[in-house]
Amino acid sequence: MDTLSLRVRGFLSISRLFRPTGDANFARIKRRRALFSFIARRMAVLKLALFITGYIWMLSIPSSQLCRGVYFDENALQPGQVNTYWNWKEVHDADRFLTELEALRDINATSEQRSQFVVNEFLKIGLSASTQNYEFTGLHKGINGTNAYAILSSPRVSGAEATVISASWLSRMNEGDGTLNLRGVATVLALSRFVKQYSLWARDIIFIVSDGHMEGMQAWLSAYHGVTQSNIRAERLELTSGVIWTALNIDYPGHSLSHLGIFHGMPLHLPSVSYLMNISSEGLNGRLPNQDLLNSFQHISRRTGVPVVLYDHKDEPGLEWLPESIRNHREIRTYAAQARNLLRHVRYQASGRGSGVHGLFHQYRIDAFTVFAVPSAGPHGFHSLGRIIESTLRTTNNLLERLHASFFFYVLTSFDRFVKIGNYLPSVILISVAMIFGGLEVWVDAAWTKRIPEKPNVEGSTRMIWNRRRRPVLEVVSIMVATHLFGAITFFFLTSKLYQSLSFASAELCLVTYLLPLVVPRLLRRCYSDDIAPLSLVLKAFNLCLSSTVISIITVLNFSLAACLAVALGILLYIASSSSNRAIGMAKYTVYVVLGFGWVLLEETTKQMIWDWDVLGVWLLPFLCIVYFPLTLQAALVCII
Amino acid sequence: MLRTSLFLILLLLSSVFCLEDIKEEFKESLSIKSLRDGRVASSFSFKTLLRDAIPRDPQTLAFDDDDSQHYTLFPLTLGQILRQYAITELHLTLNAGKWDYDSWGYPDETGVGVGAELRAWMAGGSISSIDDRWQGVRNALAGLFCASLGSLNEQRTTSPRLSFPPEGALPDWGLPHELRHASHASEHVCTENLTPFLKLLPCKSLSGLAMLLNPHRIFDADWHGIGLHVLWRPEGVEVRLNVQLVSDPLRISGQKKQDWSFHSLFDRRVEKACPVAKFSRVSVDLPSSGLYRVYPEPMEVIEGKAYYDLKNNHEVWDIGTMWPADFEYPLSKLNPTLVPFSVRRNLLGSTQDRGQLSIVVTNNQQDTLQLLYLETMPWIIQFYLHTIRVHSDDVPRDDLISNMSYVLPVPHARPATFESVLTLPGRSSLTFTMDVAKAFLRYTEHPPDAQRGWDLLPAIFTPLTEFPNGSINLGRRVYTPSLLVDLATPDFSMPYNVIIFTCSVVAFIFGSVFNALTRKFIIVRLEPQKQTENSVGKNIDANKSNKPDASESEAH
Repeated sequence: MDTLSLRVRGFLSISRLFRPTGDANFARIKRRRALFSFIARRMAVLKLALFITGYIWMLSIPSSQLCRGVYFDENALQPGQVNTYWNWKEVHDADRFLTELEALRDINATSEQRSQFVVNEFLKIGLSASTQNYEFTGLHKGINGTNAYAILSSPRVSGAEATVISASWLSRMNEGDGTLNLRGVATVLALSRFVKQYSLWARDIIFIVSDGHMEGMQAWLSAYHGVTQSNIRAERLELTSGVIWTALNIDYPGHSLSHLGIFHGMPLHLPSVSYLMNISSEGLNGRLPNQDLLNSFQHISRRTGVPVVLYDHKDEPGLEWLPESIRNHREIRTYAAQARNLLRHVRYQASGRGSGVHGLFHQYRIDAFTVFAVPSAGPHGFHSLGRIIESTLRTTNNLLERLHASFFFYVLTSFDRFVKIGNYLPSVILISVAMIFGGLEVWVDAAWTKRIPEKPNVEGSTRMIWNRRRRPVLEVVSIMVATHLFGAITFFFLTSKLYQSLSFASAELCLVTYLLPLVVPRLLRRCYSDDIAPLSLVLKAFNLCLSSTVISIITVLNFSLAACLAVALGILLYIASSSSNRAIGMAKYTVYVVLGFGWVLLEETTKQMIWDWDVLGVWLLPFLCIVYFPLTLQAALVCII
Repeated sequence: MLRTSLFLILLLLSSVFCLEDIKEEFKESLSIKSLRDGRVASSFSFKTLLRDAIPRDPQTLAFDDDDSQHYTLFPLTLGQILRQYAITELHLTLNAGKWDYDSWGYPDETGVGVGAELRAWMAGGSISSIDDRWQGVRNALAGLFCASLGSLNEQRTTSPRLSFPPEGALPDWGLPHELRHASHASEHVCTENLTPFLKLLPCKSLSGLAMLLNPHRIFDADWHGIGLHVLWRPEGVEVRLNVQLVSDPLRISGQKKQDWSFHSLFDRRVEKACPVAKFSRVSVDLPSSGLYRVYPEPMEVIEGKAYYDLKNNHEVWDIGTMWPADFEYPLSKLNPTLVPFSVRRNLLGSTQDRGQLSIVVTNNQQDTLQLLYLETMPWIIQFYLHTIRVHSDDVPRDDLISNMSYVLPVPHARPATFESVLTLPGRSSLTFTMDVAKAFLRYTEHPPDAQRGWDLLPAIFTPLTEFPNGSINLGRRVYTPSLLVDLATPDFSMPYNVIIFTCSVVAFIFGSVFNALTRKFIIVRLEPQKQTENSVGKNIDANKSNKPDASESEAH
């Protein structure tokens, strides 16, 4: 008791130091005012510091100081703790399937023929199997195909849960250049035959050979979950199973003439091993699978003796332009390698289209990733791949619950190192804080004007006095709403059939988006009264605040996109200002509009984005049109009104 | 007076039963069938008949059970439970796996729903209510079978109107009989359930057909289940214990042949017959076509079934069938179908608040089929009955659903029961969809392993035949597989706590920052009125009392 009372007394005496005697409210207000005036006086420095810290932080994410090694969080997984049974008999099966698939390819078999072959093989194995026809209507008419799938009703289980093993007909090789994923399909077939022999599976296993690259799986998944995407006409699935927990997508593009284990490649630092595994995980709209799944896979793969790389970066990044002493520094090399992985990650995540077929699973809360066998001329083949997949399957089989431990928000900088959310998130948040400070400062500034008093002071000095003035909120909000509506219109135009049919549509659209906003200053009532703040100031304030809010919100949804926005908009929106010189104003206006809508001129990219939106429902295009472009347009208008 | 005389009569009656020479009969049989997909279904049945016994009248529960229970073959532990709670009819099944009606046909024993299913017919009118006795029998059986039957509480108990008619007869005590039914889909059947099960048999697993019940093989079978059925017929009380399993000889042997024998399926043989069994019979369904050999030579063959009487001679029995050719899986659907209709049930949608229950029933016959559809849902899934849509081959046909009865769920207390009759035109496929809402559970209601989801019970379909005189005849029940539903679940692990904590902190900071940005705090000095102000604090206090809304702050 005594010690307690002593402690309490000690605490009170300490708190008295910080809380002076006298009226508490008065002191609080005083303290608050002092704090705010301190901040306000150093606002410029503060903003600069925030910007600089944010950008430097962003640059230092790939450094080895911010990342740490991966670890398992879910103890149920027990990766690599089993004896695998996959052996040369199964490899022989896979080879046989591959031969038959190659024969199908050589006769240019149609989708139906291919899927019928796969289904027949599944049926011969004793699985219940079926096909699903799908067809896309609307913008991308003519995308159609047939998926083949089979369900292994595992012995002894109720069939309420399922795991997916899939291979798409087209590989993601060179970002989907049309390479066939024959070996991936052969692996799936051989696996289906293999797993049928065991009774140790805790849940149903669904084998899917999807047509096309992404679109087949999109149709299959939407039919499985009963989600109606208006532009897909997909057949109803004849066979169903339970809730899918995890999915493994196999991508094994091999050279058509190569024999087992012989691929064309360029082993550099690993002369004895040239066949590598790759994991890619980015899902649609920036979703990521649970990290435990990736960790298990890379752990198993390395235990089996197959090196793992993130993406398909086999060689070290070239730093020839650096002096040798710097180039060979360990930290620099790590930084360069990790920065390359990070950039790849940002590209996939920010674009929202995912890095492969696995990306489609994430929207249904299924943890999925792709095993990509990087083509090479090395010792590994069906044998190692089968063992690794079997072991990974057994690992996910151990799960009693969904994957929920470990991380869903992370940045992998290499296959076994990652940056935690706390280490990368602040970089963008700092920039957005700097932006909102900037916006608020402009908002406050807009309320005041300096002017010479009408009645000079008695002393006759010409000291300026501060006068309050009205801030035209309604007008500015209308302008902002109009820009967003304008963005929405461009979006609907881009996704309309008209855009597809017009020649030079992108140039025409660009011209319209450049010229049309120019009428805004004409529409506005111009009054240079001292009592009303200039529109441009208020618009800039609102624009900065809105952009900052958008960036902070996007940070937790899709960090890469937020980082790109912070880089693109951070400083540029901040320095937007109206100019008395009309030419300079127009130049600035042009810069902002090009920044905001220039991407439309990159026809291939735009086409890809329209495809992604139409077929897969990727949000990037609507986001760019309805959120990003209007924000830059607002900054552009700041320069000319 | 009346009560005493009634008591005396009852006493007399029960002593009459005691004195009477009770004849007990034990019969065991095993039927083995090769299935279309190469698997082998075996069904063990052990029947004990307590001749001329009748279930206990619940009205006698007020008195001590003076019926000294002397049984020779009838399981005593079970008899005690039945009499203590005055159970007229009882069915308990513990199953694992998904019964594939399309390739395996109907099972010998109807109850193949996954997990535990318990139902009992009891008469009312006793001093302890039916629900009390239901609770008692649940707990007693849980103890007897080492199964979590105690969790079949009122949150899982229903009394469907039509789907479970009594299999035997109900004694006419002038009291209404009531049904209690409960199932638990995530209950697993295991060796610990089989051991007490074997103890109920007169020969245990020492002799007779029960010798084949090798747990290593039973629980490795693709589908397996044990069942206990107690029912009353005018000739007496019958206890039927059964074990069913579907094994895969192709998987067990690693070969491509579907050959099976006792030794290959169970890793055991029948070395001696059970001495107290009245008969001990094995029947093997002979394949309808192809070349095969059944060994040993069957004693008699009736209607495509080979019969063996194990009591007949004292040899070691290892019955089996051999095929000369490799087995090949059928590449297309075989005709005729084994079952008149097939069902597929799904819970669509991937969000955690809404979903859609979808049922597709295909009529494999030419004739119109009427099905009684029973759906028992825990309260966590709430039905929106107005969203029921029935399509027959993609044409809206709301007239095909009739006789709907719905018992509303009570949150945290009672499940919902939905019964209706579906009419399927010949060779058509009927789609039934209904939107459902998924409940948001209280923090403490989440079970351990909350991230797995909640098991939903199988739906039950029973073909109905309606006779012109108004009576209806129920066919064999068909159980769908169970479903798993994801509810919104807090992640009880550390990272999520960190997110929650961080979010709270950010929210608090936002509050003060927002306050600081939108308000201006000034000190209002009131003009001296009556009192003279000495301190600023008093000013503020006075201000506070005058204007409570804008005491310290003033909107900027």
